[in-house]
Amino acid sequence: MMSFTSLQFPVFLVCVYTVFRLVPQRGRWAVLLGASFLFYSFLRISYLPIVLAFSILATYLSANWIDRSSSSRMKKTAFLAGLLANLALLILIRYLPFLTTNLDLVIGWIPNFPKIPIAPVLVSIGVSYFVFQALSYLIDVYSGVERAERHFGYLALYLTFFPKLLQGPIERVGDLMPQLKERFEFQYDNLRLGFVRFGFGLFKKLVLADRIGIFVDAVYGNVHSYTGVSLLFATYLYAFQIYFDFSGYTDMALGVARMFNIRLSENFRKPYHATSIAEFWRRWHISFSRWLLDYLFSPLQMEFRNWKVLGTPAALLVTFLVSGIWHGASWGFVVWGLLHGIYLSASVLFKPYQKVLHKRFRLENTSILRAWQVFATFHLVCFAWIFFRAGTLGDARYVITRLFADLYGNLFELINTTTWKNLFLFDRAPREFVVLFFVSGVLFVGTILSGQRFINLEEFLTKEKTPLRWAVYYILIMALIVFQVDGQKNFIYFQF
Amino acid sequence: MVSEKLKKIILDALRLEDFDIQDETTASMVPGWDSLSHVKIITAIEESYAIRFKTLEVIRLKNVGQLQRVIDAKS
Repeated sequence: MMSFTSLQFPVFLVCVYTVFRLVPQRGRWAVLLGASFLFYSFLRISYLPIVLAFSILATYLSANWIDRSSSSRMKKTAFLAGLLANLALLILIRYLPFLTTNLDLVIGWIPNFPKIPIAPVLVSIGVSYFVFQALSYLIDVYSGVERAERHFGYLALYLTFFPKLLQGPIERVGDLMPQLKERFEFQYDNLRLGFVRFGFGLFKKLVLADRIGIFVDAVYGNVHSYTGVSLLFATYLYAFQIYFDFSGYTDMALGVARMFNIRLSENFRKPYHATSIAEFWRRWHISFSRWLLDYLFSPLQMEFRNWKVLGTPAALLVTFLVSGIWHGASWGFVVWGLLHGIYLSASVLFKPYQKVLHKRFRLENTSILRAWQVFATFHLVCFAWIFFRAGTLGDARYVITRLFADLYGNLFELINTTTWKNLFLFDRAPREFVVLFFVSGVLFVGTILSGQRFINLEEFLTKEKTPLRWAVYYILIMALIVFQVDGQKNFIYFQF
Repeated sequence: MVSEKLKKIILDALRLEDFDIQDETTASMVPGWDSLSHVKIITAIEESYAIRFKTLEVIRLKNVGQLQRVIDAKS
């Protein structure tokens, strides 16, 4: 299998880039489209490119049918046809095993009822991403925000463009299509920025996320042999693992696209600095939460607008239920989504009282309040991650009960060295903890010393002096070689 | 042109003293006009003009000028 972190990928990228540059402008879309299908077929899952092709065809036909229909009834029929075709694909590939298993459980109660066959679990990497992008396009065309694309090749490329195919960002047609059609002029800065961004992404994934994952997997792979404190720290670590994993992937996707002069949407903006759950969702997986906001939450909120105070909470609950289900067919994701829905509903309902409270205690705009809000938001998010990470609802329940029951015992464990030895695998993999500790330390100090200039890569690369820039490149490459975790793990968000 | 009536409804719903609202003004330009207050503004308009929007009509809107035109067409 070839993903961004595999050794074959650089070879693939160099080949694609060379052909792309050699071919005249009018044929370049075909190079990228061909490369994207090739990239997808390297997963060696025979049916996936077919599913992708079917989604493209259905989306193309539906959008042009909408555009050419004169009556609003015909437009609606055309829109629903495209919508249902895409949703059917998604359900068929991703949700059939879950649906049949649970249906079987329910009808198992009826005596003498014939058993239903349980659908096999299929690999569905990428499907939920391109289907959601296709839906966004169809809704934009149907609601009149965009015209349908007549050029089949460009529409296909918009849906498949390989840097974003497997894990997003989910792009709106108005953002990506004009860039795909623009004439390619070589810009050294784009190549350089793309390259470095890809390198930073690799570092986040191979050095940080995968290493943190070793500790998390040890605990979450067998929660019943761990105690409250270990579970707590494994949950914190998971919050960082999933951030570095997914934002690392996004850096790589944006970096590769940038080499072709294409700017994909940013997906992360320091999510754990958020002061509320609502803000967290404006900073975490931004392209996806924007999708939910534009195409699900806003319409629902309008539909429910006469329900007075309850309209918005109801729309939030439905939206985040869908978000949970989008992440995968399991009850853990459903609970995770609902939890976020409940957090947000509660904050909408309590907001007026919260304001009064802050005024009463003169906390408005104080740094204490801000610090508390960041702390509370991070912990609410971590609490929900438990359901996201735990293998089953039973595991999640175990983790939560161990966290909150027996507080006295937990405090005792906090000062017990065996707890830490077990958590950080001192006996089994002592090197991993030392490296993680060292690398995080260097990053932390470096970020502070540089006045956070590393964080803004683009500014760093354009403003800093050449020797410093090259020093950072060398350190980055060395760190990647020396500190990467042996035996690569897949990206967490591949499964969605 | 954005009417005084519409401007007043928007400012009241957002609890703003005054803000320059033109045809080209978009929600993101006005302080406090987020997805939550958007619903407030729409329901306030529906009440005071005694009209009813379709969901799609509201979603399609790009700026206040377009909102004004939809209102004019309905009332």
